[in-house]
Amino acid sequence: MRLLACWVALVLLSVGTVMSGAAGWWWAVVLAAVAKAWVIADGFMELRHAPLGWRAAMLAWPVVLVAGIVVMR
Amino acid sequence: MFTSVDRRLPGDLAMWFFILAELSVFAILILAFAVTQTLRPEVFAEGRAQLDTSTGLAMTLSLLTAGLLAALAQQQALADRSRRAAGLLVLGLLVALVYVWIKLSEYGHLAAAGLGLEHSTFFTLYWILTGFHFLHVLLGMVILAWLALRCWRGAYGPGRQSGMESGVLYWHMVDLVWVVLFPLVYVL
Repeated sequence: MRLLACWVALVLLSVGTVMSGAAGWWWAVVLAAVAKAWVIADGFMELRHAPLGWRAAMLAWPVVLVAGIVVMR
Repeated sequence: MFTSVDRRLPGDLAMWFFILAELSVFAILILAFAVTQTLRPEVFAEGRAQLDTSTGLAMTLSLLTAGLLAALAQQQALADRSRRAAGLLVLGLLVALVYVWIKLSEYGHLAAAGLGLEHSTFFTLYWILTGFHFLHVLLGMVILAWLALRCWRGAYGPGRQSGMESGVLYWHMVDLVWVVLFPLVYVL
């Protein structure tokens, strides 16, 4: 059930990404990217029960990338 | 009363270091794409206009659904239902094939239109970035097929899950990269 909920969230965020892009809401697109990456890391990869260092590293990856993309815009 | 939380890293530690190394390489490529976009915005806008966002969305849904099926298969294997796990992995493979078919169609369409590696800076980076990711998807599919075969033979179950977890983690890593790559290349 939890995995299905994660998948539904990912689908909705993906559709939201395309709609936000069409509307020119770039900030919503990048926020959705981070949210999707976190759902995959915590939900599918089961990092929510992992040692904090590993979890932090995986959750930080999309944040750092998206921050870089935003700064360069 | 406080209870200690048993924190556990799924899969093999080596797989996690491998995933970190892969994510680092992808991060460099993604940031290179973003930097170049800042330097040549008009070239990137023109190049992106040649891509179909709905195609990108379809590929996203294919990869994420394959990820869901792989995660469900892992749950089934943990519950000692190996045959059901194998079936879910095969289903995941079929869904992943949809991504491969769409991606190859897109590559064929772009190549036929003369939008190859040397057409513009956008397409140089597009082919490198998405091509590198595509190769990872293909490897991920080989891994899923291997896991399906091993599941069918009953190799995984309670207490002997590490190999399967590592293989499925690889697929999730491919998904993780795509959810950042897709908006950057197709949408932003």
